[in-house]
Amino acid sequence: MRPTFVALVLLLGACSATPDRETAPAPDGFWTGPMGGPVPATIAGGTVVDTAELAALIAEHDPVLVDVGPMPHKPDNIAADVWVPPPHRTIPGSTWLPGAGAGELPPERDVWYRRWLQVLTGDNTTRPLVVFCHPDCWGSWNAARRAILYGYTNVQWYEEGIEGWQDSGRETQEVQPELPPS
Amino acid sequence: MLRAILAIALIGAFAVPALADDEAERQAHWAELKQAVFGDRPAVDAAGLIALEAPKRALDAALVPITVTTKPDAGIVGVTVVIDDNPGPLAARVSYGPRGDPSLLALRVRVNQYTYMHAVAETADGTLHETAQFVKAAGGCSAPVGASEAESLAEIGRMKLRLSGEVAAGKPVEAQLLIRHPNFNGMQMDQLTRLYTPMKFVQQVEVTLNGERVLNMESDISLATDPAIGFRFVPRAEDLPGKLKVTVRDSDNAVFVESFDVPASGS
Repeated sequence: MRPTFVALVLLLGACSATPDRETAPAPDGFWTGPMGGPVPATIAGGTVVDTAELAALIAEHDPVLVDVGPMPHKPDNIAADVWVPPPHRTIPGSTWLPGAGAGELPPERDVWYRRWLQVLTGDNTTRPLVVFCHPDCWGSWNAARRAILYGYTNVQWYEEGIEGWQDSGRETQEVQPELPPS
Repeated sequence: MLRAILAIALIGAFAVPALADDEAERQAHWAELKQAVFGDRPAVDAAGLIALEAPKRALDAALVPITVTTKPDAGIVGVTVVIDDNPGPLAARVSYGPRGDPSLLALRVRVNQYTYMHAVAETADGTLHETAQFVKAAGGCSAPVGASEAESLAEIGRMKLRLSGEVAAGKPVEAQLLIRHPNFNGMQMDQLTRLYTPMKFVQQVEVTLNGERVLNMESDISLATDPAIGFRFVPRAEDLPGKLKVTVRDSDNAVFVESFDVPASGS
């Protein structure tokens, strides 16, 4: 391998491993502050994956993909002809579980999220489980941490989220939400 | 343009699993929106009649500047801007009056997620001419309410108008209108109270020159805080010096009116 090529590979590796962005310390439990903002660089008990690693994982290991992006809040009293629910475009094959990344999950929603993970993994706690939403969004960190605490041992946190996926030029798929109990 | 985008997307589609075809899904969504906004009307390629300029990647998704330009003297009576993947996709629907000039429409909008934006010109015979841009910006609709919104609320309804260039009879005059208004879309959470701020947004802006219409704009929740509208009008000799009157109505039916002097020359 020529030295310049090695240098280029190293440089690219360095760029993807340490993106030039602010990170935050991990909270003790779940993050209960505003969902948007700097997030930790790591997650205890799980792995952080970037887009290339996720694509490889999908190609080779058939992971369970869980999108925990929030549903847009429909304003009170908005006219029916104004509000058009925006299509939710996600990584193909994902299941959309909006709200699973909330800082505090009421017991019935905790049961809902737990059951969904059981169904999607076939009750296999070692199956690769990828959790994502948007970049700089605590929702995916919380939901990934929750899955780790449930006992899943192969949790992959895809922090770059759906925008990172699209930035790489990859396709999305429109999905409907699997709504939590209200 | 759209054909070029489609062609590129089709080439790209062969490189990924057949499961996903987001270009087809996006086009289907646009078809639905177009039906809702315009009904069963023929739409043709813009063919140079209308152009939409928007950043390919916006730094602030809550404040994305866009500019629509149309060919002069093409018989355009209205311009509509749709942000396909916004929860309130109809950003602006502008109809022009006798003193209006549809050659320019500049706005600042919020973008919810990576989306196509469409600009559609309507000619007097009812034909629609459309063009599109893909914009990478996300989170602009649910961006939290902050200090700037509080300031806007304190000064709600205040307006500024800036004219550029020479003001002469029969020549288009460029105007930049700034309206102080928080334009709450009902999707923004107050970071302190953790409650959603109720919606209150600019729904209609009418501009007249000495009582004759320049433009009428209807808008939904996609305009950014402190709506800014760039437009052109054409005064006649008898209009100068004159008064440009702006009437703004919001979703609470609050009405704000301001009149601006249009001098005979210069600005």
